[in-house]
Amino acid sequence: MIFDKPNSVDLLEAISHFLNTKIKSEVPAHLAFKIRIVENVLNIVKREIEHGDELSNEIMVQLQNLIEDDSPTIDALALLIKDEKIDLEDQDLQNILVKLSKNKIAVDNPNYSTYKKLLD
Amino acid sequence: MTEELSIALQNKLSEANIEGKILNLVPLTGGASKEIWKFEVQDTDEIKQYILRKGSGIEGPLAIKTSDEALLQQEVKKINAPVPEIVAVSSLDEELGDSYIMKFVEGESIPRKVLRDNEYKDALPLLAFQCGESIAKIHEVEVNNLHYLQEKTPMDQLNELYSTYESFNQPSPIFEYTYLWLKDQDFGDIKASLVHGDFRLGNIIVSNSGLESIIDWELAHIGNPLQDLGWICGNSWRFGQNEKVVGGFGDLEDLLKGYNSISKFEVNENLVRTWQVFGTFRWGVICLIQAAAHLNGSVNSIEKAAIGRRVSETEIDIADLLFLGGK
Repeated sequence: MIFDKPNSVDLLEAISHFLNTKIKSEVPAHLAFKIRIVENVLNIVKREIEHGDELSNEIMVQLQNLIEDDSPTIDALALLIKDEKIDLEDQDLQNILVKLSKNKIAVDNPNYSTYKKLLD
Repeated sequence: MTEELSIALQNKLSEANIEGKILNLVPLTGGASKEIWKFEVQDTDEIKQYILRKGSGIEGPLAIKTSDEALLQQEVKKINAPVPEIVAVSSLDEELGDSYIMKFVEGESIPRKVLRDNEYKDALPLLAFQCGESIAKIHEVEVNNLHYLQEKTPMDQLNELYSTYESFNQPSPIFEYTYLWLKDQDFGDIKASLVHGDFRLGNIIVSNSGLESIIDWELAHIGNPLQDLGWICGNSWRFGQNEKVVGGFGDLEDLLKGYNSISKFEVNENLVRTWQVFGTFRWGVICLIQAAAHLNGSVNSIEKAAIGRRVSETEIDIADLLFLGGK
């Protein structure tokens, strides 16, 4: 990257901090509620920048083995299921679906109760 | 804007013979799709509290008009199910837009407050049974009077959800799997009745003695009533209280005891589980619909944008239910 510090994650953190410390207490309740949503969104972006590639790659490696394609896609997997060209009872398929859902929620909302339960 | 709204409210209330000065008109934290305002009307020596619920005039594909919600609440009131009393209804072409005014009901609707505030701790153990009873009562409303509601079989609904999902061109392997799985299930052979469609914390008002009122009827339709039971068991509506299957506060056994105390159709847990998967898929598609409204430019809303990233919550819930023995 040719860019100076702060990097994109640092900048997002600065916005979150600003909203949390300077803005939230100054606005009426219905806007404070929206600011919490904004903070959640900033955190999604931050986690996607930090971990998105790794989480996607993990799925693609598993998918290569399952559907024997060098450049598999999520769309292709969806289509195989839709057309029932893959055994729906196949354990590897079900494992990938579980792993896919975990890797997505790890970015979208790692505090989600089902994810936390499944990590234990 | 508040002043204009205040005048429109005053005019509407006059039609219903409610006169007085409008005070303390404030927006409440509502859903992503409706405006909710609380206000007071001061008559000579009395102050009464009201709620305005106002739609944008553009409903999502599964929602009914706000003014029809009011008509529906009036029907439900007739059989003594707990709903707020409607005082005035406005159609889209009127000054107040597609909306209605109802009496304010004392209590709490914000899920996390109901689940965590000390004030409701005695109410929570009663709530699952009460919800079961209320859901069964809703299902007894005479459907012939509800001409503004669509009737949908489980397969109609499932196909509608699936084609809505497909229309967004964002293929999800888990949703494809879920659709095939659901197509194979038994949904219970039960007479079509009024379905609330979104019965859960957030859409009920709770006091320290339990359930006071059922609100937010925008997803109502006529169909298999068991979906209301499956819906409230979805993990999305447990608000972090994962181990409490019913709404984050109760057990399935109590919900069914309440339901079966009124309903003529005896419901078992397996049927509720099937409807729980259905409900989770449905919520996933509703999240897609909300996000699409932001993505296609029809509204620019941070809530709607954010909700697109909640689809993955429903995917992990379904994966847990179908593959990992989740409840």
